[in-house]
Amino acid sequence: MPVRRNLGCNGLDHALSRRGFTAGGMGAALALPALAAAAPSADLRGGHKRILQIYLQGGVSQFESWDPKPGTLYGGPSRAIETSVPGIRISELLPHTAQQMHHLSIVRSINLKTNDHGVGRKIMERGRRQEGYPYIGAVAAKYFSPPASPLPGYIHISSRGLTDATDAFLGPRYAQLRLEGVKPPENISRLPDISSASFRRRNLFRLRLNRRLGNRGQRSATDLYNGSFEQAQLLMSRQSLFDGQAQARDLQRYGEHFFARNCIFARNLLEQGATCVKVTHHGYDSHAENFNFHLEQLGEFDRPFATLLDDLHQRGMLESTLVVVMSEFGRTPKINRNYGRDHWGASLSVALGGAGIKPGMVIGKTNDQGTEVADREVDGGHLFHTYFQALGLDTTRPHDKPGSPVPIGDPAMEPIRELLA
Amino acid sequence: MNSIDPKRVHQTAEFKHERPLTTCRIDPSGKYVFAGAEDLNIYRWDLAQGGKTTLTGHESWVRSMDFSADGQWLLSGGWDGRVGWWPLGEAQPKPARMIEAHAGWVRSVRARSDGKLIATCGNDNLVKVWDAEQTKPIWQLAGHQRHVYSVDFHPGGRFLASSDLIGVVKVWDLESGKETRTLDASVMTGYDKKFAADMGGARDMRFSPDGKLLACAGITDVRNAFGAVQGALVLLLDWESGKALRQLKDGDYQGVGWGVRFHPDGFIIATAAHSNGSGVLWFFRPDVEKPFHTLGLKASSRGLDTAPDQQTLATAQADGHLRLYRMTAPS
Repeated sequence: MPVRRNLGCNGLDHALSRRGFTAGGMGAALALPALAAAAPSADLRGGHKRILQIYLQGGVSQFESWDPKPGTLYGGPSRAIETSVPGIRISELLPHTAQQMHHLSIVRSINLKTNDHGVGRKIMERGRRQEGYPYIGAVAAKYFSPPASPLPGYIHISSRGLTDATDAFLGPRYAQLRLEGVKPPENISRLPDISSASFRRRNLFRLRLNRRLGNRGQRSATDLYNGSFEQAQLLMSRQSLFDGQAQARDLQRYGEHFFARNCIFARNLLEQGATCVKVTHHGYDSHAENFNFHLEQLGEFDRPFATLLDDLHQRGMLESTLVVVMSEFGRTPKINRNYGRDHWGASLSVALGGAGIKPGMVIGKTNDQGTEVADREVDGGHLFHTYFQALGLDTTRPHDKPGSPVPIGDPAMEPIRELLA
Repeated sequence: MNSIDPKRVHQTAEFKHERPLTTCRIDPSGKYVFAGAEDLNIYRWDLAQGGKTTLTGHESWVRSMDFSADGQWLLSGGWDGRVGWWPLGEAQPKPARMIEAHAGWVRSVRARSDGKLIATCGNDNLVKVWDAEQTKPIWQLAGHQRHVYSVDFHPGGRFLASSDLIGVVKVWDLESGKETRTLDASVMTGYDKKFAADMGGARDMRFSPDGKLLACAGITDVRNAFGAVQGALVLLLDWESGKALRQLKDGDYQGVGWGVRFHPDGFIIATAAHSNGSGVLWFFRPDVEKPFHTLGLKASSRGLDTAPDQQTLATAQADGHLRLYRMTAPS
């Protein structure tokens, strides 16, 4: 297994919580040679390729979203509505997204063969069932972050933590930087009682120690902390991202709740040079009251997402930005005694569009009652190849990893070629 | 003559449907019992003659029904946003009218006892009051900030109460169409921080016949909304003061209160679904928190009604059974 040991740390997400780190502080005076030198761009077709990943945490119901089955045994109460693409119907809980369907395609035939949150998440993120591989965002940060990237490559906006080692062997500078929303991480600023001169000296001292430790074979640990500091430096140099409130016009268009604000923030981050922005929307693990909760949660999701998609299009960013809406699994066809749907990895859907993806397509299908995939079964591995080949990355080539070669995508899988533009 | 004794309540009949039921009503004549189900239909069982009739016309689940004051019409509120008028006694009822009442689910429909008005509410956060004859809206009452779950007319006829997801109960003056006051039922809602979502709402709401009490059936003490870990509750509100009088519940019974009725003899009947799949019929005194009698049910109960004889109860249950009970000594 070509896997580096897990250092049990998630880069800046971890480091910023440590008072010791912040006491040292960071500032624009520090140079960032390591990050710029380490970001390859050989696989870019041109321009800065980006990913907008919307993660509906807990497992959105395919019946109430992308694969409705109204009037059938397990269809539930939601009806299907027409979209901007004739012939494609989605749940009535997504009326705004339905009007942007011409930017999206749907894969309705995913079978993950697991009903476990963690396993499903990792398959969907890594494109593999084995441990120790990097997440979509980390791979994007590694191969698509431009030299002298103005922001960390992989930013995850989520109100809840994630302990996964998202970067795996790629290194901590490609790990997710988790932000809780449109507010800077705690302790990002240099403390007022530390002068810039003192601050500079502390960091020179830190770098010297790191070099010495590196020479003693402690490279992994020093890499980890260097990566964290570098991400912090990038973020600290762009504090203005957090300073301003969302514009009134944006709030009017997107909505004012936290997910809407996070979508506006995601757009701004992508515009400002982030490579992968993942926005997690929680609250889909509806073992009880599935229909009320999907009404509430998708009601929050729908308008901000549709507006964000339209904004990316209007600003000319959609051609270079892959957009994907995913979950760790779907929900059971059977409606349980608490009006809930339980975990279901045997037939779920994702929606995707933007860079390199043909819009307006439906790939695969489930049977009439939605109990199993009936055509064109795919796995998270197929999706992983599809995302990155759509962005121009050859996923059959090995990772930029010293030592044993590790293919970027699972060699047993291939992209969904009919989706590739 | 069988005297009413809730402590002797017992099951007398059950009718099986192949899908879980969502709600039930017994018509004012006591001849029929109607149920909604997890399909697109309403089902009618003839209690005198036997037989089951399917009423088709909605495009989503039906979770609320009522009857016109003259007892000739069944009113149905569907999650397709529609309200239907059905000639309930016909051999094969077809909807005489089916109106687009709300943008989003109709969660509750109620007819005023004088036959002149009908009230509905839904996911467009609106309460609407309709002319029952013309089926035209008289008032469109805006003010709720979240989905509206239940409506009921005060027996005095002038006021209407409506309750929403987050436990806001609004009182509307039907002469002016204005909101007159807001009652606090926020104990019936909870924000689940882990899942970042609200859960709550009165699943049934009824005024006492004398108009002094308003009973709301639902939940309280939300601990894990997505796992149905919360308490089942009937909240009693005092109409005059607008204050919460009492939380009727059975200790830490975990589930959802789905139905409540005031009995003319002064007690309150409620039904609830436990998160483990069982159900319960509770009998409360208005002034005592705990039920004075409980009947366990085989399956989650999602709807409750009383028959005109005030002896018979009906429950709609998640195992697809419509079950009847009598509050008298077994014959």
